[in-house]
This record gives sequence, C-alpha cells and structure tokens, in this order.
Amino acid sequence: MKGVVFNLLEDVIVREHGETAWDALLDRAGVEGAYTSLGNYDDAEFGRLIAAAATKLERPVPEVLQWFGRTGMPIMAERYPHFFTPYGSTRRLLRHLNEIIHPEVRKLYPAADVPYFDFQDWPNGVVLLGYESARRLCALAHGFIEGTADHFGETIAVEQVRCVERGNPRCEFLITMPQGH
Amino acid sequence: MSDESMDGPTELEQLQRRLGRERATRRETEAIAERGMRALYEQQQQLQLLETIANAANLTSSDTDVLQFGLASVCEHTGWILGHVYRRDVFQSADLLQSTTIWYSSDPARFGEFKRASEGTSFSRGEGLPGRVLETCGPIWVTDVTTDAGFTRGPAAHAAKIASAFAFPALVGQEVVAVLEFFSEERQEPDEPLMRLLTHIGTQLGRVVERNRMADRLVHDASHDPLTGLPNRVLFLDRLKSAIARHRRHRDSHFAVLFIDLDRFKIVNDSLGHATGDKFLTHVSARLSASLRQEDVISRPNQNALTATDERTGDALARLGGDEFTILLEDLNDPSDAMRLAERIQDALKQPFVVDGHELYASASIGIASSNIMYASAEDVLRDADLAMYRAKASGESHCQAFDETMHAMAVERLNLETDLRRAVTHNEFVLHYQPVVSLPSAEITGFEALIRWQRGDKLVYPDKFIRVAEDTELIIPLGLWVLRTACTTMKQWQEQFPKTKPLTMSVNVSARQFAQATFVQDVRDVLADTGLDASTLRLEITESVTMGNVERTVAVLAQLKLLGVLISVDDFGTGFSSLAYLQRFPIDVLKIDRSFVSNMEGSDNRNIVHTIVNLASQLNMEVVAEGAETASDVAQLTSLGCGFSQGYYFSRPVAHAAATVLLERDRDR
Repeated sequence: MKGVVFNLLEDVIVREHGETAWDALLDRAGVEGAYTSLGNYDDAEFGRLIAAAATKLERPVPEVLQWFGRTGMPIMAERYPHFFTPYGSTRRLLRHLNEIIHPEVRKLYPAADVPYFDFQDWPNGVVLLGYESARRLCALAHGFIEGTADHFGETIAVEQVRCVERGNPRCEFLITMPQGH
Repeated sequence: MSDESMDGPTELEQLQRRLGRERATRRETEAIAERGMRALYEQQQQLQLLETIANAANLTSSDTDVLQFGLASVCEHTGWILGHVYRRDVFQSADLLQSTTIWYSSDPARFGEFKRASEGTSFSRGEGLPGRVLETCGPIWVTDVTTDAGFTRGPAAHAAKIASAFAFPALVGQEVVAVLEFFSEERQEPDEPLMRLLTHIGTQLGRVVERNRMADRLVHDASHDPLTGLPNRVLFLDRLKSAIARHRRHRDSHFAVLFIDLDRFKIVNDSLGHATGDKFLTHVSARLSASLRQEDVISRPNQNALTATDERTGDALARLGGDEFTILLEDLNDPSDAMRLAERIQDALKQPFVVDGHELYASASIGIASSNIMYASAEDVLRDADLAMYRAKASGESHCQAFDETMHAMAVERLNLETDLRRAVTHNEFVLHYQPVVSLPSAEITGFEALIRWQRGDKLVYPDKFIRVAEDTELIIPLGLWVLRTACTTMKQWQEQFPKTKPLTMSVNVSARQFAQATFVQDVRDVLADTGLDASTLRLEITESVTMGNVERTVAVLAQLKLLGVLISVDDFGTGFSSLAYLQRFPIDVLKIDRSFVSNMEGSDNRNIVHTIVNLASQLNMEVVAEGAETASDVAQLTSLGCGFSQGYYFSRPVAHAAATVLLERDRDR
C-alpha cells in the first residue's frame, strides 16, 4: 500500500478527530506510524489502522473505509489538483481512472500493483463501474467515487451491485449521475 | 521556569507547532521528490519513445510504414486518440501539404466523419494546423480546436468530440517533408518537453523519407539522362520491349521508333565548348518534346475515346547519348504516321536556337523503324532505326528515312569502307589531283584546285564516296591537313618552276569539321611557314555548312586567316540558303558559282542567275570562278557575262601532279 494512502488517512483522522486521535490509532494498531508518500508499506498495517478506527468509531470496517474514501477525496483534490481539473466531472474522471491512476502510480513505483477499473454506459446516464484489485478495497473505492462527486459539487447515487465478498467474480457499482459530458 | 509559565506559549503549543513545521517540511520534501521521480520517469519514457522510433526508422524501408509507426507510437505515449499524416509533394507543389490515408486511431469507427473531412483536403503554407507547421518548420499546439482561429476544421473536430490538437513536421534539414497531427478528446495545455521530443522524432522520420527519396533518385538516375532529364537508353529499350509485346497481342496497334541524330552537332561542341553544346542539347530536347505534344499529325485507333490520352502509355522521347534522341510512338493506326512526325520535327528545328548569346541552327537526320517488320527484340528495332538514320544522313542534312531491308547490306558496306579508310589514312593511300582554274577569255591557267582521290587497290575512289565517312570518323582532320600540306608544297614548286607576274594560286577545300578545330588557324600558319608558300596564293574554299555552326566564331576565324594573308573562297555558291547574309558578314574574296548553274545556261534562268552572281561579285569587289564549264558554249556564255575565271572539263578535268605540270608547261609555251 502506498504511503500516500496512509498520509491521507492521517489527514482525515486529524481533521475530523484531532492529532491525539491519530496517535491513539497508531498505538491501538501497534504500528510505527512513520509514513512518507514515497514509501510503500505493508497492506496489513493499513488493515490494522482501519480495524482500529472501526473499533474506536464503533462502526463496521467497510463503512469506515467508505467514510475514509469520501472524506479523503477532496483532500486529494486539494493536494493533486492537476489530476482533477482537466476532467471537470465525476463521469469524465471515472472514465479516465485507468489512464490517470495507473500511469501516475507507475511513475513513482514502476512495479506497483494497481487496481483495474472498467466503465460501461448504461441508459439514462447510469454507469456501470467494474473494480478489480487483489486488495479487495471496493468499499474504499465506493467512498472515493462519492468523494469525487463531492469535489465536483455533484449529487450522485452509488450502489454496489456485485462484490467479491459476496461471492461475485468481481466488484461492480451502478452509479447514477448527472448526464452530459 | 517562571519565564515559560508567563505569557509565552506552553510547551505543548510549541511542540504542536514544531510538529506542524515538521509535517509541512515532510510534505514539501515528498512533493519535491515526487516531481523529480515523475520527471525522471517521463524522460525515460520519452527516451524510450525516441529510441523506438529511431529503431523503426533504421529498420523500416517504406515511408508509409514508418510514418504509420510514428503515429501509433506517439498516440500510445501521449494517450492522444487520433493521429494523421500530411505529405508534401516536393516535385509537384512545394507549398502544398496533401492529406494521406495514413491514420492511427484506437477507435477507428468513431472518427469516420472527421477522417473524411481531413482526407479531402490539402493545406497551403500558413493555412490551418498543417499549413502553419509547414510555415514555421516546428511543432504547433492547439489547446482548443473550436476557438483557435488557426485550426480550420473546428466544426468537424467538435462533432468528433475533439478538444485539443498538435502537429509537428518530419524534417529533412530545414525542409518539411510531412506533417503529423494528433488529436485529444481532453483539453490539453501545451507541453513544452513533449514538443521538444516531437521535434527529435520529426528528424528521425524525415531521415527515412530522405533515404527513400535518395533511393528513388538513384533508380531515376539509372534510367534517365542527367542533362535533359529524359529517359535514357535503358528505359527506352524497356519501353520498346513492352511496345513489341503489345504489338504481338494486338497486331493492328502499331508502333514506330524515330532515331534522331543532330547534323553537325560536333561542330557546335568543338567550336563553342561542351557547356554551350550541352545547353544546345537541352534546347533541342525541349523542342522535340514540344513537337511530340502536338498530336494532330498522328491518327490513333482510339482517338475519339475521351480517355484516349490517359490510356495510352505516352509517346516516349529519350536521349541515347551525345546528340542522339529517340522517340517511341505507340498505338498508331498506320506506321507511316511516324514519317509525318519526323517531318514536323525537321520543321520545328528550323527556327534558330539562341544559346549563350549565339544564334545556332540545328537540323537532324531521322531514321524510322516500325512494326511493319515483326521484330523480336528492342535492340533490333533500334539498330534498324539507327541504320535508317545513317542513310538519311548520307542523303544530306535534314533528311528522314524509313528503314528497309536493303539497308543492312549498305550498313555492312559502310562498315567495310570505314575500316578500309582508316587503313588508307595510316598507309597514306591518297593522291591529289589538280584542276586548272583559267582566266577568261584568255584561258590562261591562273591556279589549281586540289582534289583528293583515294587509291583503293587498283581503283581510284572519288571524295563523294568517302568524305562523309571521313567526316563522321574524324579521319577528315589528318586527311585535310595532309591535303593542305601537299597542295601547298606542290604549288610552291610550281610557282618556282613557272614564275608569273601574278603567281599561280592553289585552292584547297576545307571541311566543316576541320574548320571547327581550335588549331585550324595555327595549322594553316604552320603549313605556310613549312612550305614557304606565299599566303596570298592560297585560297581556302569553304561551303556554307562551315559557317552554320556559329557565326561569331566563323567571323573570328576568317579574320585570323585574312591576317595570315590567305584568301577565302565560297564553294558551291548559290546552292545554300543564307548566301547574301554571310557575303556581307564574312571577308570573302572569291565566289565559286556552282556547276548546276553553269551548265545549260542557254535560254534558261541559269544564265540570269550566273549573270546576277557575276554582277554581285563585281559590286562586292570579289573574284568570281564559274565551275563546271564543259562546252565551248558554256565558256562563250560565261565570257559574254563578264565572268572572270572558270574551271571545268572544257579546260581540263582534274589531273595527277605530272599531268598538271604538263598543262603548265603547255600554258607557258603557248
């Protein structure tokens, strides 16, 4: 897992719950907590941090992941505006996920294990987004999608229709969003 | 301790701020490192792209393939969705870019309309995106195709949901050979490093175009004459081969070959130099091409068909080398049409050429071979057309001759003659005969004309049988010099043996080829010095053909000869066509009236002509010698017309040295 995700989690926790909450989370998860955006860290550390947050917040892990994604995305947009500005809408950004995320990640980590998204237009502006990743972080992806809409000031509905956790071969979201573009 | 607890920040606040600073520092450091890594990555990608294209440029032989590859590679690298190539046809219109069918698209179906809009177009310098690249020789970026005034396909691009475009040139040196344009459906801001990279890619692509152009040039050069740009012998024979094959399939579709050889071209080269000679040849080739384009003299089987000119392979003019041109006429109704074209070529050549300020005249001997004979090989057709040309040349200048079967025998004969003549020059098998020139009415011998004879075995061969071959083979040069030297030596002897108040004169014929020699004046001076002959008793006889090559040079050479003291005679006067013009320009001392006017003068126009020439000579202060006086009546007529001198069988035929000496003795003793 990329250090940038850990940093984002830190930002979200600190913004929403204060500095001490992050320190407490680190202690509870039993991790060192020195993350740099350039580093690559054990996926399990991320899992422990999320699990600790879930315990603290008394909410299920997927819910925490989704919350983290949604809250974190506008912070990402603040920090990396050049990934967002050219697209102007959730629909267009989603359509280019593979082209934005993958090349950017690979610029920093040539051997990175990146998720794969696919995109199908359904009638009435509905989009079917497929998510395939060995990390099975579809809940995080769910939150990221909602956070993206928040960033662009759009109202969308995201429904996860398939999930590997439910025995489907892959995760799929049906997204209803403003038409055009 | 008390300081800290007063107004200053608490230790906790200090630590929090310190932590904030540390976090900001870390973020900044990370950002710097990320930018560096991203830049490094991008540079590697760019280098890789450049390397890929350079490799393709080295390995790919076709322009189209390498341009196609360039489009695909750039699209892949940039993520742009559509690429297209414009090419510049340097041979047709240097300022125009033509659309090609070379495209790259990850989604071909989507851009059908835009492709059609682009493929129909061409862009002139400065016009539209490609035209602006042609003008600036560098990459151009269009951030928004709908608002950029320099992008002319805005509506079509907008309809295809294209947002941005860029284009860059494939360059050979500073010359744009192609323009590659790319389109993105996302709005893209100008990317300077990318544009620099594209400039390098353009050079690599240009390299292939240049290499292919060189290869094309080599192929072209191998089959074309560098001077005139016409097809050469190789290409001509190739086309002729095809014509023979076509005639075999369609017997009623005839072909003909015209073999054109310029008359006296060597004189132009010798007297004016090769540079002028070359220019003269290009002028001639242009005029030949022009006469081919007027097709009205030739009837074609499919002349009425609208597409006739497109379907025919085209009449092919070629230069075989030197002053030899050939024309292949195809798809003729009648092979005899070729003769009409040959005649029109003769007409076309009659107008003088102005080359480097010299007024030059050209005429050609044209031989024709046609599909009247079933030919097996192109070489045979060419050989027969060549033979016919030689036959035409033998008939005099500006002749056309169609080949017939008897010419082979004649060609063999001529070849034998040439061989024998060479040997004759080496073994000095020539003698001079001398024909007296007498004054009228006294009939006293005033001089001789030296005439060459060839002692070929026991047969005496007259010059009309071998002088042309001697001219063609350049044997005329040593032969002419030998005649001059021998005649002068003889005359020096005779002048000592038969002294007169007005010393005897010697007339020697000078051929055009001899006259054109740069050393001619020096040769005459040497012979006079060596033999001791008084220059004023030597008369050099020139014909109009001597002067045809180049008037300025003729004037200069004649002036130098006059400075030596030599006299100039014009031979065969009245048979040429520019006589009066050059009588005025050239320093001529003697007119020799052609024999054709002298015989049968009684009651004919000839008498008037002779009378006119005699008066003309008198007015211009020239001597006049009537040739071919055969009868007492001829002599009486000439005398009555006031003609001062004559030669002819009536007085004496040309005789050998000893006999001529006897004539002089008799003349002295009478």
